[in-house]
Amino acid sequence: MAKKMRQLAIYGKGGIGKSTTTQNTVAGLASLGKKVMIIGCDPKADSTRLMLHAKAQETVMDKVRELGTVEDLELEDVLRSGYGDVKCVESGGPEPGVGCAGRGVITAINFLEEEGAYTPDLDFVFYDVLGDVVCGGFAMPIRENKAQEIYIVVSGEMMAMYAANNICKGIVKYASSGSVRLGGLICNSRNTDKEAELIEALAAKLGTQMIHFVPRDNQVQRAELRRMTVIEYSPDHPQADEYRELARKISENEMLVVPTPLTMDELEDLLLEFGIIEEDDEEIIGKAESA
Amino acid sequence: MENENTAVKAPLEGIEKQATEELIDKTLELYPEKARKKRAPHMSANDPGVEGCTVKSNRKTVPGVMSARGCAYAGAKGVVWGPIRDMTHISHGPVGCGYYSWGTRRNLVEGHQGVDVFSAMQFTSDFQEKDVVYGGDKKLAKICTEVRELFPLAKGISVLSECPVGLIGDDINAVAKKSSSDLGIPVIPCNCEGFRGVSQSLGHHISNDSIRDYVIGTYEFKDEPTDYDIALIGDYNIGGDAWASKKILEELGLNVKAIWTGDGQIEHIAATHQVKLNLIHCYRSMNYMAKVMEERYGIPWMEFNFFGPTKIAASLRAIAARFDQKIQDNAEKIIEKYTPMMQAVIDEYRPRLEGKRALLFVGGLRPRHTIGAYEDLGLEIVGTGYEFAHNDDYDRTYEEMAKGTLIFDDASEIELETWAKEYKVDLVGSGVKEKYVFQKAGIPFRQMHSWDYSGPYHGYDGFPIFARDIDMAINSPTWGLVKAPF
Amino acid sequence: MSETCAVKKVTEITPEEVARVEEWINTEEYRDKNMAREAVVINPAHACQPLGAQLVAHGFEGTLPFVHGSQGCASYYRSALTRHFREPAAAVSSAMTEDGAVFGGQNNLFEGLENAYKLYSPKMMAVFTSCMPEIIGDDLTAFIANARKEGLIPEDFPVPYANTPSFNGTHINGYDTMLKSILSYLAADKKVEGKDNGKLNLIPGFDCNTGNYREYKRLCKEMGIDVTLLADVSESFDSPLDGTYRPYPGGTPLEEAADVLNAHATLSMMLHASKETVKWFKNETEAPVDVMPAPIGVANTDNFLMKLAELFGKEVPESLKAERGRAVDAMTDAHQYLHNKKFAIWGDPDYLAGMISFLLEMGARPYHIICSRGSKKVTKYLQALLDESPYGEGCHIWMNKDLWHLRSLVMTDPVDALIGSSHGKMVARDANIPHIRHGFPVLDRVNLHRVPFIGYQGAINLLTSIANTLLEEVDRTSEDKHFEIMR
Repeated sequence: MAKKMRQLAIYGKGGIGKSTTTQNTVAGLASLGKKVMIIGCDPKADSTRLMLHAKAQETVMDKVRELGTVEDLELEDVLRSGYGDVKCVESGGPEPGVGCAGRGVITAINFLEEEGAYTPDLDFVFYDVLGDVVCGGFAMPIRENKAQEIYIVVSGEMMAMYAANNICKGIVKYASSGSVRLGGLICNSRNTDKEAELIEALAAKLGTQMIHFVPRDNQVQRAELRRMTVIEYSPDHPQADEYRELARKISENEMLVVPTPLTMDELEDLLLEFGIIEEDDEEIIGKAESA
Repeated sequence: MENENTAVKAPLEGIEKQATEELIDKTLELYPEKARKKRAPHMSANDPGVEGCTVKSNRKTVPGVMSARGCAYAGAKGVVWGPIRDMTHISHGPVGCGYYSWGTRRNLVEGHQGVDVFSAMQFTSDFQEKDVVYGGDKKLAKICTEVRELFPLAKGISVLSECPVGLIGDDINAVAKKSSSDLGIPVIPCNCEGFRGVSQSLGHHISNDSIRDYVIGTYEFKDEPTDYDIALIGDYNIGGDAWASKKILEELGLNVKAIWTGDGQIEHIAATHQVKLNLIHCYRSMNYMAKVMEERYGIPWMEFNFFGPTKIAASLRAIAARFDQKIQDNAEKIIEKYTPMMQAVIDEYRPRLEGKRALLFVGGLRPRHTIGAYEDLGLEIVGTGYEFAHNDDYDRTYEEMAKGTLIFDDASEIELETWAKEYKVDLVGSGVKEKYVFQKAGIPFRQMHSWDYSGPYHGYDGFPIFARDIDMAINSPTWGLVKAPF
Repeated sequence: MSETCAVKKVTEITPEEVARVEEWINTEEYRDKNMAREAVVINPAHACQPLGAQLVAHGFEGTLPFVHGSQGCASYYRSALTRHFREPAAAVSSAMTEDGAVFGGQNNLFEGLENAYKLYSPKMMAVFTSCMPEIIGDDLTAFIANARKEGLIPEDFPVPYANTPSFNGTHINGYDTMLKSILSYLAADKKVEGKDNGKLNLIPGFDCNTGNYREYKRLCKEMGIDVTLLADVSESFDSPLDGTYRPYPGGTPLEEAADVLNAHATLSMMLHASKETVKWFKNETEAPVDVMPAPIGVANTDNFLMKLAELFGKEVPESLKAERGRAVDAMTDAHQYLHNKKFAIWGDPDYLAGMISFLLEMGARPYHIICSRGSKKVTKYLQALLDESPYGEGCHIWMNKDLWHLRSLVMTDPVDALIGSSHGKMVARDANIPHIRHGFPVLDRVNLHRVPFIGYQGAINLLTSIANTLLEEVDRTSEDKHFEIMR
């Protein structure tokens, strides 16, 4: 019996460090001997550069644009092999404000399926998805027969937690008709107060787990300057251990849940409790400085 | 000729308001509850005396029913822009919309295709995935340049957007503006994506708005204006209709300065603000611009009906009344000249058609405008309805129909089948999608959008052809073969 | 705009200008300009995916095609099919409008499925998409599962669905995707290990000739092979007029379709219109799955019959041998009228492949071959056919060129006749050459969809229409002194 390929999607607020976390985690899995493919689902196309030591690999959509039609595109035009034999693909797409980036994701995934990129030897497929599920196109990776596990990268910052909660709302919608589940929150630390406890508390309220707390460490940036993951750049550095640990936890994770998103009030209560926001002072609402 | 524009139609034998209401109830039983509620207001037993609109219209089509409706793009390309002969009309988006609407409306034109006229050609940007993902504006600019170079006599370009263009947020208006100034011909954007509105109707309106914003008033006629200058609005020259209409109007002594848009020329359309009167045949698709020209340039407009001798005569008199004695005298002369010819047609066909019953379901004006022509031939219309009408169309319809007849909106195929069977009609006049449904059921049919590849049906030239076609549809010996003798 | 532009005087295009351009568009200079265009497509010979999907849906028993998208899309596909076949084409849509574009099409699909199920009592609804749901990214899997959960359609009611974006591929891809979807839906858990029902699954491909479908069935019968003809529209689009309208007059029985994975063998007659379906068969069954060119012309028919013989261990019967002999007789009798004659043809890759083979067999030259949407692989595939025959020398495959390109080609490098859909008639008129109506769509001739062009009989039919059209042209254009009784 062939082993089962696990497909995972990584979501999270823009700028939270999704791509970095994903690539380091994937490198961790690769170093554990796993076969992995990363599919970047963000028009910025920065989901594979640390694996490939490249600025940005040529994307499916770039190549489609060049050739004029998907039919003339070959898998080898867009599939690169990176660190640890990880297969890398970027869907690509337009600059902000034109065209339809969501459709680019659909086009790319359809192409990969048709051309047989999902080979049975793969243990994991990772989708690194644009910040938020803004339209159906960006939900493509979590549809039926695609990613069944979602991990949300989050930090102790307010907006990151709002975003995580919103993504959970999206998951509930898809979970009701399919089998997509939340695998956990990955805390990519911003060194805010009581960050780990806060994310643990958020995870508990969402009915999930904080699967790992990734501490902040400048070694990540030093590796990035070389367009490498920490795991490749300095395998013996403690930060590399953190990513390997995250990789191991994901690899062994069996806690897959339909999340229970918080209402805005519940979320605000939580933030109040941890002192992230303060109680509204009704006196000052709507008053201009000069008033 | 009988029933000369009587105020209230004589009732039809066996057609009672209550029976029709029962039929409506029976029809609605076909639907699940939610759909039944939605469909119910769209059909009614006619009662012309009763105030207010009784048939609801211009609402969203109920999902899952076999509607005959098209979309805004169809209204813009197929109806308003497509017939303009000296422009290239770009179906901007994927290939299908332009492909399916290619040459299907039978808008005849004078000229050589690909040289000075382009209406029978299909120009498409044939969107691919990359155009959707990256946007199609650059491609559109290039299309305009290529078209300009390959078709130097084209007087303009219309850009008719299909769904993806609007969904991805392309800015065709900006491209059109720049291309227009780069290329020195009007490039007219028309945001008529198919998902807008509920039917073709919004496409007509959007196109009218494009004409208002980009076309009207940009040209003037060479010749000095006269008091007899008119424009023929809402005649799309299907099977040569506009030519037949124009012939009568010219015989009347009027100058037809522009036709909107059958065999249309964009510069003539652009100069229409100089005419003295706008004559509207298809009110639904062109009333918007008639009203704009009235407000902006003080040009009065009037509706008329050139189907069948009774309506033609009444319309000629009404049109002539807007002009001087000379024109009024001409109207009488024309009527006098043609009446015997038309009577000969009636004498030939009416005996074979007397008392035959028809059910109509068509588009813009025909569900009401053709009634007189059928009646001239002795047919009775037991039900009529529109694909995409508004209240004002229904207001104009009730009085054309006998009390108790069925009036309906956006009918589904299953409703039409039910009614045709119940009324045991001898003819259904509707579109190509409906045609073979009824023929299989043994019910004679004529396509009343395309005149079933015949025509013209307008004017005195049209009526003999109409009469011949209706006769052959109903009386074809092939109907005698439907039931096998074994 | 009116305030920025000075008001100009209306000008008429002069006869001199018309004459100049009329001449110019026939020149090589114009051809070069025309061939160089990159953006605009003028008079294409391809439609969009949903049309093919709808054709497939009509080919299954009791199946209602369901367009997820605007009602205008459905009206277009229905009209296109109805105009060609002169038959009803019952289909519904989810009637999506602007709000659907913003909020997604689930509600429309829900209502549509519920209503259509009640109103039209189908045995299956085949859902396929037009542009809007493809761009906003509607998730059909989820929507249809939800519709079942809501009880709008029964749990076990088959609703296969296919994503058929119009901005990708052509109608042949829509055909393929829908067919694969229907078969995989119906047959998914029906495979029985070790079972062989002894039947042939035959995939005709996007073919709008009902006569061909009947001919496939007849040929199989002659061979003594029990065939499951997939997406069989022979009755759907050629139903009797007997006073009763039937929305679902024919199609492949669903029970048969559900048993395809237990068949003895599967054969597709159109490589390009069945890629996904063939791939699915190959993945799901160990029985032989083959693709071969449609049996257009004698050699292709020979290969088809030999393949059947090989797969089923049968002999080609005497009756078909005699039929072959008659076809060869007809072709030999008429060869002089076609030999070395140049033709322009256009259409889908697989159709073109068949026509190329047939013309080459006749010693005729498929001189300009237009495929208005296809890949480099298709060009290679067709070129290989030309390379097999001396009559293919100098013939050109014009990939991703359209019928306005064809006009330029025909005016500067002429052919004797056109063979193709009604959309080529303007070219024929300008070039003053005959146009044999063939393929899809034929909108200006009657009954051609009933005359098969596959098999030996089809070869005779094809030959008859081509040769007699050319002979008619000789009579029509010959001077008195050359106007003879015999030809």
